[in-house]
Amino acid sequence: MFTDRLTLLVFVAALGLLLLVLEMVRRRALAEKYSLLWLIMSVVILLLAIARPALDRIAPILGIYYAPSALFVAGFVGLLVILLYFSAVITQLTREARIAAQQIGILRERVDELENGGQHFSDDK
Amino acid sequence: MIDAKTLVIIPAYNEQASIARVVNRVNECLPAADVVVINDGSNDSTSLAAYEAGAKVISLPYNLGIGAAVQTGFMLAQAGNYDIAVQVDGDGQHDPSEIEVLLSKLIAGESDVVVGSRYLADRGYVTPLPRLLGTRILAAYVSMLAGQKFSDTTSGFRASNKRAIGVCAENYPADYPEPESLLTFRKIGLRVSEVPVHMNKRYGGKSSITPFWSAYYMIKVVLAVTILALRRAPQTEDTTYVY
Repeated sequence: MFTDRLTLLVFVAALGLLLLVLEMVRRRALAEKYSLLWLIMSVVILLLAIARPALDRIAPILGIYYAPSALFVAGFVGLLVILLYFSAVITQLTREARIAAQQIGILRERVDELENGGQHFSDDK
Repeated sequence: MIDAKTLVIIPAYNEQASIARVVNRVNECLPAADVVVINDGSNDSTSLAAYEAGAKVISLPYNLGIGAAVQTGFMLAQAGNYDIAVQVDGDGQHDPSEIEVLLSKLIAGESDVVVGSRYLADRGYVTPLPRLLGTRILAAYVSMLAGQKFSDTTSGFRASNKRAIGVCAENYPADYPEPESLLTFRKIGLRVSEVPVHMNKRYGGKSSITPFWSAYYMIKVVLAVTILALRRAPQTEDTTYVY
Protein backbone atom coordinates (compact mmCIF):
# COMPACT_ATOMS: atom_id res chain seq x y z
CA MET A 1 0.00 0.00 0.00
CA PHE A 2 2.74 2.47 0.89
CA THR A 3 5.44 2.39 -1.69
CA ASP A 4 7.40 5.21 -0.13
CA ARG A 5 8.06 6.60 3.30
CA LEU A 6 6.69 10.08 2.55
CA THR A 7 3.25 8.76 1.68
CA LEU A 8 3.24 6.74 4.88
CA LEU A 9 4.23 9.83 6.85
CA VAL A 10 1.44 11.90 5.30
CA PHE A 11 -1.02 9.07 5.98
CA VAL A 12 -0.07 8.98 9.67
CA ALA A 13 -0.25 12.77 9.97
CA ALA A 14 -3.66 12.97 8.27
CA LEU A 15 -4.99 10.15 10.45
CA GLY A 16 -3.67 11.94 13.53
CA LEU A 17 -5.34 15.16 12.44
CA LEU A 18 -8.63 13.37 11.78
CA LEU A 19 -8.61 11.74 15.22
CA LEU A 20 -7.60 14.98 16.93
CA VAL A 21 -10.43 16.92 15.29
CA LEU A 22 -12.97 14.21 16.14
CA GLU A 23 -11.77 14.16 19.75
CA MET A 24 -11.97 17.95 20.00
CA VAL A 25 -15.51 17.89 18.69
CA ARG A 26 -16.37 15.14 21.16
CA ARG A 27 -15.06 17.29 24.01
CA ARG A 28 -16.90 20.33 22.65
CA ALA A 29 -13.59 22.14 22.20
CA LEU A 30 -14.51 22.56 18.54
CA ALA A 31 -18.00 23.23 17.18
CA GLU A 32 -19.28 20.78 14.57
CA LYS A 33 -19.76 23.49 11.97
CA TYR A 34 -16.14 24.62 12.29
CA SER A 35 -14.81 21.05 12.29
CA LEU A 36 -16.37 20.17 8.95
CA LEU A 37 -13.66 21.66 6.73
CA TRP A 38 -10.92 20.05 8.83
CA LEU A 39 -12.62 16.67 8.59
CA ILE A 40 -13.08 16.94 4.83
CA MET A 41 -9.45 17.96 4.34
CA SER A 42 -7.99 15.18 6.50
CA VAL A 43 -10.22 12.51 4.89
CA VAL A 44 -9.31 13.64 1.36
CA ILE A 45 -5.59 13.53 2.14
CA LEU A 46 -6.03 10.20 3.89
CA LEU A 47 -7.78 8.71 0.86
CA LEU A 48 -5.18 10.09 -1.56
CA ALA A 49 -2.41 8.63 0.58
CA ILE A 50 -4.06 5.20 0.65
CA ALA A 51 -5.04 5.18 -3.01
CA ARG A 52 -1.54 5.44 -4.35
CA PRO A 53 -2.47 4.28 -7.91
CA ALA A 54 -5.05 7.04 -8.14
CA LEU A 55 -2.55 9.58 -6.87
CA ASP A 56 -0.02 8.40 -9.44
CA ARG A 57 -2.55 9.09 -12.15
CA ILE A 58 -3.84 12.45 -10.84
CA ALA A 59 -0.48 14.02 -10.04
CA PRO A 60 0.94 14.13 -13.60
CA ILE A 61 -2.25 15.74 -14.85
CA LEU A 62 -1.52 18.62 -12.45
CA GLY A 63 2.06 18.74 -13.68
CA ILE A 64 3.41 17.14 -10.50
CA TYR A 65 6.04 14.52 -11.31
CA TYR A 66 6.77 13.34 -7.81
CA ALA A 67 3.32 12.01 -6.89
CA PRO A 68 3.51 12.34 -3.08
CA SER A 69 3.99 16.09 -3.50
CA ALA A 70 0.39 16.18 -4.66
CA LEU A 71 -0.57 15.40 -1.07
CA PHE A 72 1.06 18.59 0.07
CA VAL A 73 -0.68 20.53 -2.68
CA ALA A 74 -4.00 19.12 -1.50
CA GLY A 75 -3.15 20.05 2.08
CA PHE A 76 -2.09 23.56 1.09
CA VAL A 77 -5.27 24.22 -0.88
CA GLY A 78 -7.32 22.81 1.98
CA LEU A 79 -5.59 25.13 4.46
CA LEU A 80 -6.16 28.16 2.24
CA VAL A 81 -9.87 27.40 2.06
CA ILE A 82 -10.04 26.91 5.81
CA LEU A 83 -8.16 30.15 6.52
CA LEU A 84 -10.36 32.14 4.20
CA TYR A 85 -13.46 30.63 5.74
CA PHE A 86 -12.28 31.50 9.23
CA SER A 87 -11.44 35.06 8.18
CA ALA A 88 -15.04 35.36 7.04
CA VAL A 89 -16.22 33.91 10.35
CA ILE A 90 -14.07 36.43 12.26
CA THR A 91 -15.55 39.25 10.20
CA GLN A 92 -19.05 38.13 11.07
CA LEU A 93 -18.18 37.70 14.76
CA THR A 94 -16.60 41.16 14.87
CA ARG A 95 -19.74 42.69 13.43
CA GLU A 96 -21.93 40.85 15.94
CA ALA A 97 -19.66 41.78 18.84
CA ARG A 98 -19.76 45.44 17.74
CA ILE A 99 -23.54 45.51 17.64
CA ALA A 100 -23.73 43.78 21.04
CA ALA A 101 -21.27 46.29 22.54
CA GLN A 102 -23.20 49.24 21.11
CA GLN A 103 -26.44 47.90 22.55
CA ILE A 104 -24.78 47.29 25.93
CA GLY A 105 -23.51 50.87 25.99
CA ILE A 106 -26.93 52.29 25.19
CA LEU A 107 -28.80 50.00 27.58
CA ARG A 108 -26.33 50.56 30.41
CA GLU A 109 -26.84 54.30 30.21
CA ARG A 110 -30.59 53.81 30.31
CA VAL A 111 -30.44 51.44 33.28
CA ASP A 112 -28.14 53.79 35.19
CA GLU A 113 -30.37 56.72 34.45
CA LEU A 114 -33.41 54.84 35.74
CA GLU A 115 -31.60 53.61 38.85
CA ASN A 116 -29.49 56.53 39.97
CA GLY A 117 -29.65 59.37 37.51
CA GLY A 118 -26.87 58.54 35.10
CA GLN A 119 -23.77 57.95 37.20
CA HIS A 120 -22.25 54.69 36.05
CA PHE A 121 -18.50 54.94 36.20
CA SER A 122 -17.73 52.51 38.99
CA ASP A 123 -16.67 49.87 36.48
CA ASP A 124 -14.52 52.15 34.34
CA LYS A 125 -10.84 51.31 34.40
CA MET B 1 -31.93 78.53 16.43
CA ILE B 2 -35.12 76.95 15.17
CA ASP B 3 -36.90 74.21 17.06
CA ALA B 4 -35.32 71.22 15.35
CA LYS B 5 -34.57 68.50 17.88
CA THR B 6 -30.80 68.28 17.80
CA LEU B 7 -28.36 65.73 19.20
CA VAL B 8 -24.66 66.54 19.37
CA ILE B 9 -22.59 63.35 19.17
CA ILE B 10 -19.09 63.55 20.63
CA PRO B 11 -16.97 60.43 20.23
CA ALA B 12 -14.14 60.34 22.77
CA TYR B 13 -11.28 57.97 23.45
CA ASN B 14 -8.98 58.93 26.32
CA GLU B 15 -9.94 62.61 26.11
CA GLN B 16 -10.20 63.44 29.83
CA ALA B 17 -8.07 66.54 29.28
CA SER B 18 -10.35 68.10 26.68
CA ILE B 19 -13.78 66.53 26.86
CA ALA B 20 -15.26 68.78 29.58
CA ARG B 21 -14.21 71.88 27.65
CA VAL B 22 -15.75 70.55 24.43
CA VAL B 23 -19.02 69.68 26.18
CA ASN B 24 -19.15 73.07 27.87
CA ARG B 25 -18.50 74.91 24.63
CA VAL B 26 -21.20 72.91 22.85
CA ASN B 27 -23.66 73.66 25.63
CA GLU B 28 -22.84 77.38 25.41
CA CYS B 29 -23.21 77.47 21.66
CA LEU B 30 -26.28 75.24 21.38
CA PRO B 31 -28.12 75.41 24.69
CA ALA B 32 -31.20 73.69 23.28
CA ALA B 33 -29.38 70.67 21.93
CA ASP B 34 -28.86 67.36 23.74
CA VAL B 35 -25.25 66.30 24.05
CA VAL B 36 -24.09 62.71 24.15
CA VAL B 37 -20.49 61.67 24.65
CA ILE B 38 -19.69 58.22 23.36
CA ASN B 39 -16.82 57.00 25.50
CA ASP B 40 -15.15 54.44 23.29
CA GLY B 41 -13.62 52.24 25.97
CA SER B 42 -11.28 54.90 27.38
CA ASN B 43 -8.74 53.97 30.02
CA ASP B 44 -8.96 57.36 31.71
CA SER B 45 -11.79 59.32 33.32
CA THR B 46 -13.33 60.59 30.09
CA SER B 47 -16.77 59.36 31.20
CA LEU B 48 -16.70 61.14 34.53
CA ALA B 49 -15.38 64.38 33.05
CA ALA B 50 -18.08 64.37 30.37
CA TYR B 51 -20.80 63.50 32.85
CA GLU B 52 -19.79 66.25 35.23
CA ALA B 53 -19.82 68.69 32.33
CA GLY B 54 -23.47 67.80 31.85
CA ALA B 55 -23.40 65.43 28.91
CA LYS B 56 -25.23 62.18 28.60
CA VAL B 57 -22.54 59.51 28.52
CA ILE B 58 -22.65 56.21 26.68
CA SER B 59 -19.74 54.06 27.76
CA LEU B 60 -18.90 51.32 25.31
CA PRO B 61 -17.60 48.21 27.08
CA TYR B 62 -14.40 48.13 25.03
CA ASN B 63 -12.78 50.15 22.25
CA LEU B 64 -14.79 49.74 19.06
CA GLY B 65 -13.14 52.42 16.95
CA ILE B 66 -14.32 55.89 16.02
CA GLY B 67 -16.78 54.72 13.37
CA ALA B 68 -18.66 52.37 15.66
CA ALA B 69 -18.64 55.01 18.40
CA VAL B 70 -20.16 57.62 16.10
CA GLN B 71 -22.64 55.07 14.80
CA THR B 72 -23.76 54.43 18.39
CA GLY B 73 -24.58 58.13 18.57
CA PHE B 74 -26.59 57.88 15.37
CA MET B 75 -28.43 54.85 16.76
CA LEU B 76 -29.42 57.01 19.73
CA ALA B 77 -30.43 59.86 17.45
CA GLN B 78 -32.62 57.52 15.43
CA ALA B 79 -34.18 55.89 18.49
CA GLY B 80 -34.78 59.32 20.05
CA ASN B 81 -36.36 60.63 16.86
CA TYR B 82 -33.97 63.54 16.51
CA ASP B 83 -34.25 65.83 13.50
CA ILE B 84 -30.57 66.71 13.35
CA ALA B 85 -27.39 65.02 14.53
CA VAL B 86 -24.10 66.92 14.77
CA GLN B 87 -20.73 65.17 15.09
CA VAL B 88 -18.00 66.98 16.99
CA ASP B 89 -14.65 65.42 17.86
CA GLY B 90 -13.88 65.00 21.55
CA ASP B 91 -10.35 66.35 21.24
CA GLY B 92 -11.38 69.96 20.76
CA GLN B 93 -10.17 70.45 17.19
CA HIS B 94 -13.64 71.47 16.06
CA ASP B 95 -14.93 74.82 17.24
CA PRO B 96 -18.47 74.33 18.58
CA SER B 97 -19.31 77.95 17.72
CA GLU B 98 -19.13 76.88 14.08
CA ILE B 99 -21.83 74.23 14.51
CA GLU B 100 -24.21 77.01 13.64
CA VAL B 101 -22.52 77.36 10.24
CA LEU B 102 -23.22 73.69 9.58
CA LEU B 103 -26.77 73.92 10.86
CA SER B 104 -27.78 76.95 8.84
CA LYS B 105 -26.57 75.24 5.69
CA LEU B 106 -28.45 72.06 6.64
CA ILE B 107 -31.64 73.88 7.53
CA ALA B 108 -31.51 75.81 4.28
CA GLY B 109 -32.31 72.44 2.69
CA GLU B 110 -30.79 70.93 -0.39
CA SER B 111 -28.33 69.00 1.78
CA ASP B 112 -28.79 65.90 3.88
CA VAL B 113 -25.27 66.05 5.27
CA VAL B 114 -23.13 69.17 5.76
CA VAL B 115 -19.41 68.68 6.29
CA GLY B 116 -17.13 71.29 7.83
CA SER B 117 -14.06 71.57 5.62
CA ARG B 118 -10.65 72.85 6.67
CA TYR B 119 -9.54 73.35 3.10
CA LEU B 120 -12.47 75.05 1.43
CA ALA B 121 -11.19 78.47 2.41
CA ASP B 122 -8.03 79.62 4.08
CA ARG B 123 -9.06 79.76 7.70
CA GLY B 124 -5.62 79.68 9.22
CA TYR B 125 -5.30 75.93 9.58
CA VAL B 126 -1.71 74.96 8.84
CA THR B 127 -1.40 71.31 7.87
CA PRO B 128 1.99 69.60 7.92
CA LEU B 129 3.12 69.01 4.33
CA PRO B 130 3.09 65.16 4.18
CA ARG B 131 -0.34 65.15 5.71
CA LEU B 132 -1.56 67.84 3.33
CA LEU B 133 -0.34 65.76 0.42
CA GLY B 134 -2.08 62.68 1.79
CA THR B 135 -5.36 64.43 2.40
CA ARG B 136 -5.24 66.07 -1.06
CA ILE B 137 -4.65 62.75 -2.81
CA LEU B 138 -7.38 61.12 -0.77
CA ALA B 139 -9.78 63.97 -1.45
CA ALA B 140 -9.09 63.77 -5.18
CA TYR B 141 -9.62 60.01 -5.23
CA VAL B 142 -12.81 60.05 -3.16
CA SER B 143 -14.14 62.96 -5.24
CA MET B 144 -13.50 60.98 -8.40
CA LEU B 145 -15.28 57.88 -7.12
CA ALA B 146 -18.13 59.87 -5.62
CA GLY B 147 -18.60 62.06 -8.65
CA GLN B 148 -18.63 65.15 -6.48
CA LYS B 149 -15.84 67.48 -5.48
CA PHE B 150 -14.90 67.14 -1.82
CA SER B 151 -12.12 69.24 -0.33
CA ASP B 152 -11.90 67.61 3.11
CA THR B 153 -12.82 63.95 3.13
CA THR B 154 -11.43 63.23 6.61
CA SER B 155 -13.43 65.86 8.46
CA GLY B 156 -15.52 64.43 11.28
CA PHE B 157 -17.25 67.77 11.85
CA ARG B 158 -20.66 67.20 10.32
CA ALA B 159 -24.37 67.81 10.62
CA SER B 160 -26.94 65.29 9.37
CA ASN B 161 -30.67 65.50 8.87
CA LYS B 162 -33.16 62.80 9.74
CA ARG B 163 -32.72 60.91 6.52
CA ALA B 164 -28.95 60.83 6.95
CA ILE B 165 -29.33 59.83 10.61
CA GLY B 166 -31.23 56.74 9.52
CA VAL B 167 -28.56 55.84 6.99
CA CYS B 168 -25.71 56.34 9.49
CA ALA B 169 -27.45 54.42 12.27
CA GLU B 170 -27.73 51.39 10.06
CA ASN B 171 -24.66 51.64 7.91
CA TYR B 172 -21.50 53.31 9.11
CA PRO B 173 -17.94 52.13 8.47
CA ALA B 174 -15.95 51.08 11.52
CA ASP B 175 -12.31 52.10 11.40
CA TYR B 176 -11.67 55.32 9.50
CA PRO B 177 -15.19 56.19 8.59
CA GLU B 178 -15.12 59.71 7.18
CA PRO B 179 -14.01 59.18 3.55
CA GLU B 180 -15.97 55.94 3.23
CA SER B 181 -19.16 57.42 4.59
CA LEU B 182 -19.06 60.23 1.99
CA LEU B 183 -19.13 57.60 -0.73
CA THR B 184 -21.90 55.69 1.00
CA PHE B 185 -23.97 58.87 1.21
CA ARG B 186 -23.54 59.51 -2.49
CA LYS B 187 -24.45 55.93 -3.38
CA ILE B 188 -27.63 56.04 -1.35
CA GLY B 189 -28.47 59.39 -2.89
CA LEU B 190 -27.95 61.65 0.09
CA ARG B 191 -26.98 65.19 -0.82
CA VAL B 192 -23.69 66.20 0.75
CA SER B 193 -22.25 69.70 0.87
CA GLU B 194 -19.24 71.31 2.48
CA VAL B 195 -18.88 74.57 4.34
CA PRO B 196 -15.59 76.20 5.33
CA VAL B 197 -14.63 75.95 8.99
CA HIS B 198 -11.39 76.36 10.84
CA MET B 199 -9.89 73.76 13.10
CA ASN B 200 -8.11 74.28 16.40
CA LYS B 201 -5.12 72.55 17.80
CA ARG B 202 -6.17 69.79 20.15
CA TYR B 203 -6.90 70.94 23.71
CA GLY B 204 -5.15 67.94 25.16
CA GLY B 205 -4.49 64.26 24.73
CA LYS B 206 -2.59 63.06 21.70
CA SER B 207 -3.46 62.40 18.11
CA SER B 208 -3.68 58.84 16.92
CA ILE B 209 -1.91 59.86 13.70
CA THR B 210 1.75 58.84 13.46
CA PRO B 211 3.77 58.34 10.24
CA PHE B 212 3.30 54.57 10.33
CA TRP B 213 -0.41 54.78 10.99
CA SER B 214 -0.79 57.52 8.39
CA ALA B 215 0.58 55.16 5.76
CA TYR B 216 -1.63 52.37 7.04
CA TYR B 217 -4.56 54.78 7.06
CA MET B 218 -4.00 55.80 3.45
CA ILE B 219 -3.72 52.24 2.19
CA LYS B 220 -6.69 51.05 4.18
CA VAL B 221 -8.92 53.94 3.16
CA VAL B 222 -7.96 53.76 -0.51
CA LEU B 223 -8.72 50.03 -0.46
CA ALA B 224 -11.95 50.52 1.43
CA VAL B 225 -13.33 53.26 -0.83
CA THR B 226 -12.30 51.36 -3.94
CA ILE B 227 -14.18 48.27 -2.81
CA LEU B 228 -17.07 50.40 -1.66
CA ALA B 229 -17.24 51.95 -5.13
CA LEU B 230 -17.64 48.47 -6.59
CA ARG B 231 -20.35 47.50 -4.13
CA ARG B 232 -24.04 48.03 -4.60
CA ALA B 233 -25.70 50.72 -2.54
CA PRO B 234 -26.49 49.32 0.92
CA GLN B 235 -30.06 48.37 1.62
CA THR B 236 -31.05 50.73 4.36
CA GLU B 237 -34.06 48.74 5.48
CA ASP B 238 -32.50 45.40 6.29
CA THR B 239 -31.10 46.14 9.73
CA THR B 240 -33.28 47.83 12.28
CA TYR B 241 -32.21 48.22 15.86
CA VAL B 242 -34.90 48.00 18.44
CA TYR B 243 -34.25 48.99 22.03
